[in-house]
Amino acid sequence: MPDRDAARVDRSWSLIAWTISIGLLVISSVLGFGVLSRYQQNDPTLDLWSAICRGIGIPAGGGGSSNFEQPSPVVSTHLVWSTQTLARLRGGDVKRGEFVARNCVACHRSTQANVAQLIPKLDGMNAAAIYKQLQDYRVGDRTWGVMGALAKALTESDAVDVATYFASKASAPAYAFDSITERGFDQPDEAQRLAFVGDPKRGIASCSACHGPSAYKLGAPSLEGQDTNYIERQLTSFAQGVRRNDTFGTMRAIARQLTAEEKKALAQFYGSRAPLVARSN
Amino acid sequence: MLNSRRLALYHYWVAFAVFLPAAFLGAWQMLVRSPIPAPLADSDLYYASVTLHGTAMAYVVTTFFAMGFGYAVTATSLGRPVRGVTAAWIGFAICLIGTLMAVAAIVSGQASVLYTFYPPLFGSVWYYCGAFLLIGGSMIWVVLMVINMTAWKRDHPGEPVPLPMFAITATALLWAWAASGVEIELIGVVLPRAFGLTSEIDAGLARTLFSVTLHAIVYFWLMPAYIAFYTLVPQVAGGRLYSDTMGRLTFIMFLLFSVPVGVHHLFADPEVGSGFKFVQSFLTFLVALPTLLTVFSICASLEIAGRYRGGRGMLGWIPALPWKEPMMLAVGLSLVMLGFGGFGGLINMSYGMNMMIHNTAWVTAHFHLIFAGTVVIMYFAIAYEMWPRITGKPLRSKHLARWQLWLWFIGMIVTTFPWHVTGLMGQPRRVAFFDYTDPLLQPMVPLVIASVIGGLILFASAVLLIVILVRSQLGENALAEPLQYALAVNPPTRLPNALNSLGLWNAILLVFMLGTYGYPVAQFFFLKSAVPTYEVTGEATLPAGGQ
Repeated sequence: MPDRDAARVDRSWSLIAWTISIGLLVISSVLGFGVLSRYQQNDPTLDLWSAICRGIGIPAGGGGSSNFEQPSPVVSTHLVWSTQTLARLRGGDVKRGEFVARNCVACHRSTQANVAQLIPKLDGMNAAAIYKQLQDYRVGDRTWGVMGALAKALTESDAVDVATYFASKASAPAYAFDSITERGFDQPDEAQRLAFVGDPKRGIASCSACHGPSAYKLGAPSLEGQDTNYIERQLTSFAQGVRRNDTFGTMRAIARQLTAEEKKALAQFYGSRAPLVARSN
Repeated sequence: MLNSRRLALYHYWVAFAVFLPAAFLGAWQMLVRSPIPAPLADSDLYYASVTLHGTAMAYVVTTFFAMGFGYAVTATSLGRPVRGVTAAWIGFAICLIGTLMAVAAIVSGQASVLYTFYPPLFGSVWYYCGAFLLIGGSMIWVVLMVINMTAWKRDHPGEPVPLPMFAITATALLWAWAASGVEIELIGVVLPRAFGLTSEIDAGLARTLFSVTLHAIVYFWLMPAYIAFYTLVPQVAGGRLYSDTMGRLTFIMFLLFSVPVGVHHLFADPEVGSGFKFVQSFLTFLVALPTLLTVFSICASLEIAGRYRGGRGMLGWIPALPWKEPMMLAVGLSLVMLGFGGFGGLINMSYGMNMMIHNTAWVTAHFHLIFAGTVVIMYFAIAYEMWPRITGKPLRSKHLARWQLWLWFIGMIVTTFPWHVTGLMGQPRRVAFFDYTDPLLQPMVPLVIASVIGGLILFASAVLLIVILVRSQLGENALAEPLQYALAVNPPTRLPNALNSLGLWNAILLVFMLGTYGYPVAQFFFLKSAVPTYEVTGEATLPAGGQ
């Protein structure tokens, strides 16, 4: 008899536990997917089913807004860092790139930039950064002198190979915690401060977060050892909107905020550092 | 303590040996992010340090402490040797190797991904392997807890499992559920990328899986403290536990409501639908139930003890309690911090209000107050209670221990209260440098400096803890009285199955998990939202022959 009692108690415990638990799940789901999704949005025309879909995370189908004519979006760069792009970049052929590069080195002479013509040094710049610029020249997102015509003459795989070739001509990597003293908040001069800390008051992110030496973003070139005049000219071009192929307009937003002296000082700062270091992605 | 003494001692010592340097790093970090000039103020070092501090405190200290505590509780509450001691030592070794691997990766600057290692941030493969081994090794402990409880039940049919054993097994199962998220993330998403099998990483999937762990792990940290609340505190106070059933229900509710709620860490993330966010926010509020239940039954138990000791009147029982005992003092301070931290947590878990404080210093302040305050102060008290039993040597000085607890409490309040305020002012978390000359940031200066002072007090308290433990262990042998757990006012003689085993509750939790996490995880298999990683390993780790 006590056994039967115990079994009955056990059954009622499990019945009550299941009822409460499922009840909680149902109540919260009705509130979350029904009430919240339906009534807490700025779209009174949304029907219940579309609202529930939104609550689940499926975009409501059909979208009414497509009926209106939209101005075509302004695109800074057509390059997308997709798996395919990266896979292509990884498959670059250095030997073939060296052959293609014979057309480039006449101006991009090895480590020495042609100062008067504002031509950047390419040796050791990372492949993704070079490839991005070539692609932008190819589709016309970036325009400068003869580069548009030269880039259009290259095939897709030429661009990959030549980028790989220049990236492979890297000097020894120099990363460690060794340059600790120069990266703190208390920077001796304004340029170094902008490079390592940025200027929160003006919404300027630190250069070094993308262009090294603190970190490197995909597609952003390392600037250390780059030609001073070239850097300064690019900053000015971004500031004036002459150059527009920066993803999300980041560089234009930053460069617009910099004074002429700051642009010069930053160019000096990066130009005077040890040479470029390659970084693959 | 039978055969578990050495086991528990080694686990505790790893936990505390890691705790001291991690506390030092915490104090240094407070200094770096303040307007006061700090030695070696460098952003790379700062993030390496934050990663080390977080990994050490969140994974290493807690896991080792909980495992050691589990073995000690098993032996003492069941009154028989722990089964599977060899397996336990193997688990200890695996966890230790994992810890060393992760620490080496962080110290070399190759894994500054912070302890949450959210992709697409990406660090050294050694870090991920280390984390995997540390968490995986602790699963041996989980299995051993379950085996020990079921074996005891087989030998004692119909008898209620002692509350401490029931609670530690619930803790172990909770940890298994919690860890499943990060383990699946590591195996399925992160390690394939780390070993180069994939070229991209699905940040949304990784974050969603990690959220399974991220909240439940907090309750895994908390449970040893709660076990002490229920089973040690009333004994030390000289009374009885108000209700055994309430204790069991508390641990069951923690098991149920701490896992299917992790999406409340992703309120600002786009990948989870708003409906699921609401459901999990709703379930999060239910976690308040076991906490309130605990505060009630602990206060009731203490009142019983206080009145038994001769306390009279409405509040007269409070001064009658033995406040000279470290455990008693710790529980008082712990409950104060739990009150403040809990109210802060209500803001975090509310879907709407969370937006005010999301990703600000408020969040850091909240979990320091709850975890480093409420929970860790109980770890100290548990250590003071257990040390004489494990080493056979009495605690050298209860006076010093009280000083240590008070310093920790004051340090934590001084650190976290201003921190909450700067969070409300909009100070982001996880940032190394602030320009305090900015008129917007200037009002934060006195608050941040107060936090630095709090950090230094905390470090002093951490040093004191180690001094007390080492002095006690080096002292002379004396026979210590065996560990006694509190008896309930009405000790259970027969319990329904639901309160004496955890099968039913695991089944319910499975349904909760399928309902709350099923679609949010499954959606990634048709969304295909993988992105390239953003490596933080620096130049030196370029793959050989890189482009």
